[in-house]
Order: sequence, then C-alpha cells, then structure tokens
Amino acid sequence: MEQNRNNILSVKNLEVKFKVRDRVLTAIRNVSLDFEEGKVVAIVGESGSGKSVFTKTFTGMLEINGEVSNGEIWFEGKNLLENKTDEEWMQIRGKKIATVFQDPMTSLNPVRTIGYQISEVIIKHQGKSKAEAKAEAIELMERVGIYNAEQRYDEYPFMYSGGMRQRIVIAIALACHPKILICDEPTTALDVTIQAQIIHLIKDLAKEYGFTTIYITHDLGVVANVADRVAVMYAGQIVEFGEVEEIFYDPRHPYTWGLLSSLPQLGEKGNELFAITGTPPSLFEEIKGDAFAPRSEYAMRIDFEEEPPMFKVTDTHYAKTWLLDPRAPKVEKPKVIQNLHEKMLALTAKGGIYGEH
Amino acid sequence: MKKYVLGRVIRAIIAVFVVTAIAIIMIFTMIPRENIFRDDTAQLQKLNGKPDDITIYKNNKWEQLGYLDFVRQAEMCQTESDDYDACMIVNEHTVVNDNGIETKEYTYSEEGEKVIEAYTQKGYKVQYFVYGGFYATKDYSGLEIVFNFFKNLIKIDTPSAVQDPDNPDLERKIYIGTDYNGVPAIMCSGCEHNYLLYFDGNFPFIHQNFISLNFGQSYPTYQNPSTLDVINSSQGSLDNREQTYPNGKTGNSADNFHTCTYKATASLDHMDANKFDDNYANCKSYYTYPSMVSMSYIFGIIALVLAYAIAIPAGVAMARNKGKWPDKIGIVYVNIMIALPSLAFIYFMKVLGFRIGLPDKFPILGFDNIMSYILPVIILALMSTASLMIWIRRYMVDQTNADYVKFARSKGLSQKEIFRKHILKNAIIPIVNGIPSSIILCISGSVITESVFAIPGMGKMLPDSIKAFNNNMVITLTFIFTALSIFSVLIGDLLMTVVDPRIQLDAKGGNE
Repeated sequence: MEQNRNNILSVKNLEVKFKVRDRVLTAIRNVSLDFEEGKVVAIVGESGSGKSVFTKTFTGMLEINGEVSNGEIWFEGKNLLENKTDEEWMQIRGKKIATVFQDPMTSLNPVRTIGYQISEVIIKHQGKSKAEAKAEAIELMERVGIYNAEQRYDEYPFMYSGGMRQRIVIAIALACHPKILICDEPTTALDVTIQAQIIHLIKDLAKEYGFTTIYITHDLGVVANVADRVAVMYAGQIVEFGEVEEIFYDPRHPYTWGLLSSLPQLGEKGNELFAITGTPPSLFEEIKGDAFAPRSEYAMRIDFEEEPPMFKVTDTHYAKTWLLDPRAPKVEKPKVIQNLHEKMLALTAKGGIYGEH
Repeated sequence: MKKYVLGRVIRAIIAVFVVTAIAIIMIFTMIPRENIFRDDTAQLQKLNGKPDDITIYKNNKWEQLGYLDFVRQAEMCQTESDDYDACMIVNEHTVVNDNGIETKEYTYSEEGEKVIEAYTQKGYKVQYFVYGGFYATKDYSGLEIVFNFFKNLIKIDTPSAVQDPDNPDLERKIYIGTDYNGVPAIMCSGCEHNYLLYFDGNFPFIHQNFISLNFGQSYPTYQNPSTLDVINSSQGSLDNREQTYPNGKTGNSADNFHTCTYKATASLDHMDANKFDDNYANCKSYYTYPSMVSMSYIFGIIALVLAYAIAIPAGVAMARNKGKWPDKIGIVYVNIMIALPSLAFIYFMKVLGFRIGLPDKFPILGFDNIMSYILPVIILALMSTASLMIWIRRYMVDQTNADYVKFARSKGLSQKEIFRKHILKNAIIPIVNGIPSSIILCISGSVITESVFAIPGMGKMLPDSIKAFNNNMVITLTFIFTALSIFSVLIGDLLMTVVDPRIQLDAKGGNE
C-alpha cells in the first residue's frame, strides 16, 4: 500500500499471538493498514477474525496472555509498540485514541454517578478543576443528546436506558478530544431505532470534533451507511481493502462475495438465506495458502499451496486472492450480488436504519 | 423505604419472639426439672435430712422459675376456707406396725379435707409433707409458660410502681431534676427507679430506666441476680471513690447513685440514712473491671478492626497480583488457616506468644496489664482474616474482569486509579453487608479463645449455662443473640443502600 501523507495511523506487518493453555495462537497474521485522517474505516469480518484484537493493539489493551510478536504501529511520529509501561500507554489511551465498547449496559461503573465518570477523565487528562470539569461534562452530555443534563449529572447508570448509556460512553470517549475513536461494535447491543440514532450521533460528532473513526462491526448495513473505507478481515488477515463503493459494488475476494451474499436484506421470500459453508481455520496451526480456500467454491490448487499477495485493483482497492492473478481463470461474482447497487438503493429508499435520515 | 424498614422491624420482632418461644418450650418441657438442682449442692446439703424443707425449697425454686404454681396449706386455707384455724389443724397419730416400728400418720380436719378437695377440683395436685401438712402444685403447660414469660418480660416503670405500706405519703410524680453531679435528668418519685433517664461517662452515655427487660433470675449458677445483671454487671472488686451522696454529704463509696431503686422503709438502716434522705437506697456498685459483655466486646472489636485492617489490604494485594507471588503466598496462608483446626492454631500461637513473654492465661496479669490482651486479640483477628481475605480477593477479581474496568482502562486511567476509584467501591459492597453483623455479634464472644485464655467474657456463657441447666440464662442469651443477629442483618441491608445506589429498599420491591 502506498504511503500517504495524511495517514494518522499506520500499521505495518503486525502479528499478535496469544498463549492459550500452553498453546500459541496467532490471532493477527502480518497485517498492514493505513488509516487516513478524517476518514471512517470499517473493519468487517466474522467473529474470531481478529477485528477487536487488531484495534486493541492501538491502545495496548491486549488481554494479559496476548502479545504483539512483530510489527509497528506508527502514530504521531512514534511507534506505539515501543510503549512498554502503563504510564506510557496512558498518554495514548483516552487522550489520543478512545474506544467505545459493545455493551453500554456494562461499560459504566454501576456505583459511580454518570457525572463522576465523565469528569474523571476531564480532570485526569486536561488537568481541570472539579467545577470546570463538571461544566464541561454537562456540555458534553447535552452534546450527545441527554436532556436535563444538569439534573441527570448526579444520576447513576442504572437510571439510564441502554441507548442513553451508550451516549454517555461516547461522551466519555470524546471528553478528551481524541484523534481516533475506535467503535467496537457500538450498536450491537442496542435495538434498531437506537442503533440508527447512535450511528448518526457518532457521524455528527466526527464532523464536529474532527476525529478519525474506526468501526468494528459485522453489520454490513452499518458499514454501507457510515464508512468511507472498508477492510475485510478473515482469519487474522485483511483480505480486501477499499473504498466503500468498491467493496460493495466491485468486490474481488471470494470471502467478501460470501459476506455480501449473506446480507439478510438480499434474501428472497421463500428461499433460504445464503450462508458461507464451513468454519474458519484453527489459528493454533500454521495456515498454508489462502486461509479461505477450504470454504471457497472458487478455490484453485495454488490456493492450498501458497499464500496470495495483496493484488492492487485500483489505487485505493486491494484484495488478497489468487483470482486477481493474470494467470487465473476469469470468474464472475455470485449472481445475487451482481446488481447490489440497485438492490441497496431499493432497500435504503425504504428508510429505516440504512436509509439517510 | 420507611414502610419497608417498619415491615422488616415488625417481622424481626415476631421472629425473635417465635425463636424465644420455641426455646422456652423446649427447655421447660423437655429437660427434666430435677436437673436444675444438680449444681446447687451447697444449698441442698444444708437441708440434708429435712425432706420437707427440701420439698419446699425445690417447689419454691420451680415456682420462681415459672414451672408451676406452688401453694402451701396456709395459703390454701386462706383462699378456700371460711374457718382458717380449723383448716390448719394437723392431727398426729402414732402407728406401730407389725415389726414394732413406730411411724407417724397425719390426718386433717373436715375443713382441711374440703380445701384439699377444692384444690383438686381446680386441677392442682395435692401432696403431703412427711412431717405433716399438705401443699398443692399445678404445672403450667408449655403455652402458659411462654405466656407468663412474655407477660413479665417488659417492665414499664411508672410513679405508681412502688407499694410501701410504711410510706403512705410517698409523692408520685415524674420530674426533670438534676443528679448528684448537677447534670439534668428525668427523675421519678414513686417509680421503682429514682432516675428514669440520665447521662454519665459510660457507653452509650445516655441511659434509661423507663422500660426494662426482665428475663427472670439466674439459677443455679450466678444465683439470684437477674440474668441481665449477671452479664451486664461489672466484675472485680468494689471501686470506692470520693462521691457526693444524694443527701449532700460526701464520702467514700462504690455506689452508683444513678442505678438506685426503691428500698422498703422497713428495711432501711442507719447506713442508708447516712447517704440518702429518701427511700431510693438500693444501688448497684461500681466495680473495678468491666462486665462480661464488655470484656467480650473489647476483645471482639479490637480483633475485628485488626482483622479488617489486615485482610482488606491483603485481599486487595492478592487480587491486584493475581497469579503472582503475593497472591500465591496469600493463598497458602488462607489454606493453612482454613485447614488448621482453630484449637490447634490457638495453642500454637499461645506457645509462640509465651516464648516472647506474653502471658498464656488472662488472669495472670489481669485486666490492668495490656500484655494480657495482646495474644487473644491477635489470635481472634488472625482467625477471621482467612475468609475475609479470600472473599475480598474473589470480589476484586470478579470486578477486575468487568466491562467497566476495561472501559476505564481505555479512558486512560491508571491501574491504581481503577482499583481505588472503581473496583474497590464495587467489591466492598458485599463486604459492607457483613460488617454490622461482625460488629454486633462480637458481643457473643468467642467460645474457644475465651476458654483457652480464661477470659471472663460472654463466650463461655451459653455453653456453661446449658451445662449447668441455668434455664433462664439460656433463654436470655437465646433472646439476645437472636435479636442481635436479626437486627444486624437489617442494619447490614440498610448500609448496602448507602454504598450501592442500585439497591433501594422498598416494600413493593421484588415479587411481593
């Protein structure tokens, strides 16, 4: 991938290993990815593909049995992986790179007031007084859409609904004006109407505060709605990366085809929904060739023998599949996603979460 | 909230009464009543050879303790006969049997037989003394015993309480006066107690005599004072001090004038006249050493504070270093403490303490020497650290894995801040619930430690009373411990609402 001057975060050859009961599992396998400032990048993939682990390395929040065994993460002219102590990471966490987690019901401390949990960060990172922090916290609460913020400042999380708690989590994440906001499935635990509100809130705030958003999700509907770029992850690798239009309307990797084909919105009444057969490979063993080959109906012999390189499709679009090799036979993407553009337009026109509000 | 607490209090009171009632019925109906005299050999030996006196003594005791109603001939004749003198006649006949041995036989007048018949009709069992005369007894049923117990349990002091035929002009009023120290107090003339409400330097500083609990007398151990007095009165020798008597004179006395109760005019003596100008001359005394309850409490509270002071930091350190050395050492310690029988641990510590010069029995150096307290307190504290440590560690570890901790980390808080500001407050919630119980139940003392060190505390009271068939004491202790347990649980729950905002005590909560 080309170097870009506007890159805010550059990951190079990242490899992450976990020790699980005396066995070593490779969760991220040699991933490189650049995040362009101000762009929304969505990382998609099924459970266990390494999406969360990948972003956790940006803030040094891997689980205790995990370890970055190779690679570099460049941020503001510094390789983050040189941070060793918690103190060094604390300069990044919250302050520069903030994270919003999946479950707002449990992300907040149940026995501390909402106000305390917001101002705590402001006091910590901006060195403000208690009164100043309170004023700023109330402003933030209003900004994320909490009515009567002043009264609700002293309330406890259990007095808030799920959607409101997620708004508070976002307010806390933004309290220090981070450069990057990682949203780790921020709407998975919320109901559909609230999902849409939260997504729009993050979108609006990104514009206002000028942070770069990284979405982790397996909801392609959300991706279509919010993302500028999409990275598709499979078995610890990025198998396809490109502009959102390129991924949706000109996907090249068989796994991306599978993902798109399994969009429930594309299902027709009476027919079974499409599902990718098989299961992802075990990450305990070394993977030979293309990790997706055993589940792919387009697999060639080379897919089982040698790992494919990143093929460049356009300046912004890359895919890691032998199908892009000039010697490969020409194959068409599955029929169900061939006119995805029209189908998506038809779907989004109906409104709902994926439509423009 | 108020409604909820009221409901809980009412239920708690009912529970205490039910438990006490069960204890009373069990004790009075299932334990042979002869057993209570087993430890009263001194008195019974004195009466040896006088079978009628023994019968009277025993029946009097049983009546006092509430087993039965005991009436002697005189009383029977007074209530049932019109001709008292005729009724009281006992005719003695000497009978010589076939072997030439003389025995005496007794017959009673017609009036006497009439009274006997009347009492038999009323359900009494009439019996005859060996040396003439008759008496009647009637056993109370279990329910009657319970009813009588609770009827006499609560005593309310009123100005009409004193009935003294020698003092017809006794003023009857409640008034606000000042005590002999010049401190205001609510006083009474005509009540049992001179002071109904007063302040002094002893915990809890404000004392009342309006309502007192009466659990009956302690027997056969600690004879005659009421059971509450036994556990509450200070111990040791009289503590004489320079005092101003209620009549204004000064002198050296151990009397605690706040506790004075009415003394019948007939029994007032010149000693009393020297100190008092009224009839309130029956006073408790100051003693040099604290009561049994206080003894157990002193040990219990110090040990408790020490236990928490050790266990909380240790448990937190274990949780913070889970799987590392501090944790491993802590787990070894906890395992040893739990596996080791407490008696073995106490003796081990005793030997260890003896080596460095600490006394191995409390009375060796006694109340005044701090050395007497060190070893028992350390043992008591260490024995409760193990479970506290493991629970704190467990709650902390639980909380450490919670999502909000992950989020707090991602906010950029340091590990230390997260522990102090977030995890501890969550982990302490279940611990807080248990603190009132631990504090209040210190009163019950520690059976084993107090026995091993011969500490004059409450710990041995319950087992000793059971062994000695001191029934009233057993009931008193059952009542006290039950009441304290139930109310400390309630206080624990109330305290939870303070530390955990999610918990709201509400009468409508749950499935009700």
